[in-house]
Amino acid sequence: MAHAEPGAADGAAAVPEGPGEAAAPAASGRGAKVPGEGSFWLSEWAFPVFVATLAAGIFAGTHLYYVYRTGTFSDVAVTAMLKAGMESGSYGAAAAFGAGFLFARVIEGPMVGILDIGGSLQTGVGIGVPAMLLAAGVTAPLEHFWLALPTGAAIGFAIGALILVIRRATVNSSRNTSTFGADVMMGAGNSAGRYLGPLVIIAAATASIPVGLGSTLGAALFYWWKKPLTGGAILGAMLFGLFFPLTGK
Amino acid sequence: MNQTLTILLESAVIGALIGFGASAGVARMFHAPKVQGMGAFRTLGELNACENDPVAHFSFGFGFFFNAWASAVGTGALTSDVDHRIVPHWAASLAMARNRDLAETLHNPRRMAFFGAGVGVVLVSVLNTTAASIPHSLQKVAADVLGPASEWLINPVMPIVFWMAAVDAGRRTGGWGTVLGGLAHVVMGNAVPGIVLGIVVGKALDDLGRTRVTRVLVGAVVALFAVSAVLRGVDLQLLHQMKVDAPGWLEEFHRATGTEPTD
Repeated sequence: MAHAEPGAADGAAAVPEGPGEAAAPAASGRGAKVPGEGSFWLSEWAFPVFVATLAAGIFAGTHLYYVYRTGTFSDVAVTAMLKAGMESGSYGAAAAFGAGFLFARVIEGPMVGILDIGGSLQTGVGIGVPAMLLAAGVTAPLEHFWLALPTGAAIGFAIGALILVIRRATVNSSRNTSTFGADVMMGAGNSAGRYLGPLVIIAAATASIPVGLGSTLGAALFYWWKKPLTGGAILGAMLFGLFFPLTGK
Repeated sequence: MNQTLTILLESAVIGALIGFGASAGVARMFHAPKVQGMGAFRTLGELNACENDPVAHFSFGFGFFFNAWASAVGTGALTSDVDHRIVPHWAASLAMARNRDLAETLHNPRRMAFFGAGVGVVLVSVLNTTAASIPHSLQKVAADVLGPASEWLINPVMPIVFWMAAVDAGRRTGGWGTVLGGLAHVVMGNAVPGIVLGIVVGKALDDLGRTRVTRVLVGAVVALFAVSAVLRGVDLQLLHQMKVDAPGWLEEFHRATGTEPTD
């Protein structure tokens, strides 16, 4: 979250921001121990394989949540949508939310060269697809672990392959000169995470006065120590909440 | 006991899979745009920010480990930070513990994938199995504090950040972003996908003009919005709220397909 602060880099080599571009060209294969551009690890067709493994894990994580109420790879608010569906039986909200993110990121991914796993896989495959399956009455892939893995892998492989197809048609086509707004998305994605710290403090102060004070203190200390202040805000709130429990509703 | 063991074993498999895929994708990001990577722009920025220092990578991931842990305890959601931040940073930290050459460590998908799988096994198992052993008071704080905060982040903070970025990027991007963002909140419940698509479409039109690529793009976006609207019963809801009687066949269609308005 706080990576835009210098605090995120408390190490020696604090490369000042400038994400991406600086590192990308310097990286292209050198050294014998490194897989080269032509090897499997950097080949085009390895991409769907990696998407498939990640998607299989994420989908199985949702299976874990469906059965044991722990394990989704999404944020609290997004998971809450799926939970609401599981309780009320109407999955429309979670399905539309997840599918919307999945679609937007699958279009964006090949054009900017980086697939956003938060929107495409965590929200899309982890929440949107399960919500659609459950809405259609298909519960088996979510109830059985060994069915969840291949289901997730198949979905992931399809997404990866689709991205390669789009990539061929747009970015790699000879007449292309557009970056499709990669720079804009980079800036917005970078700054969005920074907002969580202050939001945590506001939520803590709303919950109770001791928890709010603890959260503020924790965040201030972390900021002073040049660490991301979100972590301090959360730890402070948790610590004070342990000694001064929130009263029940 | 039996249940804890099941969760532990399944978590180990899941952790290995996500660690392997996410870390390989992250390493590939450093070869973009030549190679298709996956991760996120912020992940790339954060990895660059603590470049070459294993301790910086580790402590950055560690801050978010508590974040994820608190959230897992309170709500059962491990948070997106597991794939975005903790696994990549800890894998990077391990990968460069003895060798600081970036090309051989952080930018090397093979090395990152195997270290990432190892990190994932331990991390996901710990997050999923320790959640139940946490005091109730802590669970309540986690849910009451992280719940609202992340809800606000998703709506309205993230939409506004993306929206301002779209508006600042030029008139066409701002226009498409505004229209698709507003429609996306109506149709999907969150404006971010719409704004992202608005930026892609706007920039494509800026750079390429009206070509086959941009026309297909716009067509796909329109189709997505139409399908989402029907799936969520937004059309029916719109008619109700405008106090217009919905035609019987439309109501019947939504009832038959189970796509009636939910909220």
